[in-house]
Amino acid sequence: MLQVEKLVAGYGKVEVLHALDFKVEQGQLVTLIGSNGAGKTTTMRALSGMLTPTAGSIRLRDREIAGLPSHAVAKIGLAHSPEGRHVFGSLTVDENLQLGAFARITGSRPKKELQRDFDRVYTLFPRLAERRKQYAGTLSGGEQQMLAMGRALMLDPEILLLDEPSMGLAPRLVEEVFKTIRELRTAGVTMLLVEQFAAAALEVADYGYVLENGRIRHQGPASQLKTDPAVRAAYLGGAAH
Amino acid sequence: MQILLQLIASGIAVGMIYAAIAFGYQLTFATSKTLNFGQGEALMLGALVGLTLTSVMGYWAMIPLVLLFGFVQGAVVERLGVRPSIKIKSEFGWIMATIALGIIFKNLAEIVWGREALPFPSPLPSDAYVIGEVRILPVELLIVVGALAMMLAVEFFNRRSIWGKAVRATANDRDAAGLMGIDTSRIITLSYAVSSMTAALAGVLVAPRITAIDANMGAVLGLKAFAVAIIGGLESGLGVIVGGILLGVAETTTGYYISTGYKDVPGLVLLLLVLMVKPSGLFGKATIKKV
Repeated sequence: MLQVEKLVAGYGKVEVLHALDFKVEQGQLVTLIGSNGAGKTTTMRALSGMLTPTAGSIRLRDREIAGLPSHAVAKIGLAHSPEGRHVFGSLTVDENLQLGAFARITGSRPKKELQRDFDRVYTLFPRLAERRKQYAGTLSGGEQQMLAMGRALMLDPEILLLDEPSMGLAPRLVEEVFKTIRELRTAGVTMLLVEQFAAAALEVADYGYVLENGRIRHQGPASQLKTDPAVRAAYLGGAAH
Repeated sequence: MQILLQLIASGIAVGMIYAAIAFGYQLTFATSKTLNFGQGEALMLGALVGLTLTSVMGYWAMIPLVLLFGFVQGAVVERLGVRPSIKIKSEFGWIMATIALGIIFKNLAEIVWGREALPFPSPLPSDAYVIGEVRILPVELLIVVGALAMMLAVEFFNRRSIWGKAVRATANDRDAAGLMGIDTSRIITLSYAVSSMTAALAGVLVAPRITAIDANMGAVLGLKAFAVAIIGGLESGLGVIVGGILLGVAETTTGYYISTGYKDVPGLVLLLLVLMVKPSGLFGKATIKKV
């Protein structure tokens, strides 16, 4: 589904990612974990075209997308729920979701089943349904996170990128976010998840990559990474599970 | 009292022209944080093109063509003058570029239409409507109705159509808009096109009122409308209407009670006062943003 080879990216002269290789298979939930500054968000930005990679290849279903602007990447079917949520504060919840489906409404992606997807998002997040006419800027942090995820889902994407969906949320809401991720996985949505809660991420994921200073240090099935002593010591607080 | 009402009525008509142009400033500022300082020249071109077309097909039939002309002219300004500086993230490049394009348009207009003022025929009867004791010219009513209709139409487009929502999304968060599949560069071009389209319409609305037009007509109007945009708030739709009317009325009353020589003073004083007291404009709103 998504195949990344020798990806190099950074900001100005500072190279953040040094030749990353990883892939996400159809229907898989893959997680990227690592400490702050390891390059997780940079990876996500490079994938969705918010940042132009310096070198390397990103293939989505055999289409090369490295270097394309973000709007073109979205039309090919990659949805990115960015770090910090970035909902459209002066637009209503409903309008935010419509814009998530912009590529479908304007005809660059299949339009059918649009209503089904509205219903799906509102079923997944009943709190959003109650607030559909409210401005997104007036929502709480947790609701905004749900909206950002719902908006990304409205693309009916080939792959969904979730960057720090639990950031800044109260523990109860973090649980809710992970519950939703599990539901999406059951529904067969292909996902790439970046999380600071490494343990929770490995709990829901099929496969994991550990990023360190812009390089992949460990990888493997999530269940295996969870028990890997080196990974546990560095990222899971060494706690036993 | 009757004179005052008369001055207010005339002031509103003048003010709606300022409002229409200022509305155009808001459109491009929202999407790109840049302005077309050749907005007055877009108005002037609209009026002169309208004059030529009026002689062929009459006033009402030429309006759609003038709208189209303004739309294309605005897109050209964005592509030539603004996009390069947005691309290199230049903070000031677009200022000089749009001013330069404005001067070029003015010179081109002088070549095509000459330097002499040209009479603009009125499409409406010259008998004033009399309400109470206030006399309102049909061409003044045309300005008010035309300018309001245009602003409402653009608002309706922005609220209701998916492309209008894309415009608002781009204004709200350009990066996130890109992630939705919205080509935000094209949205910025669109906002310039619509902005010049509103100015061109303002040109053919004001022309019958001022009866004679020339290549210089846009400069002062564009500048005053800029003051209105600052007074009303660059990010507040309602603000430009109130700001425009305020300035228009201030001008007509000063012209009558003090001297027409001072009629441009109150606008500038108002501008300075607003900048001192409320720099975001009378209706400048705090943006809703939660982290």
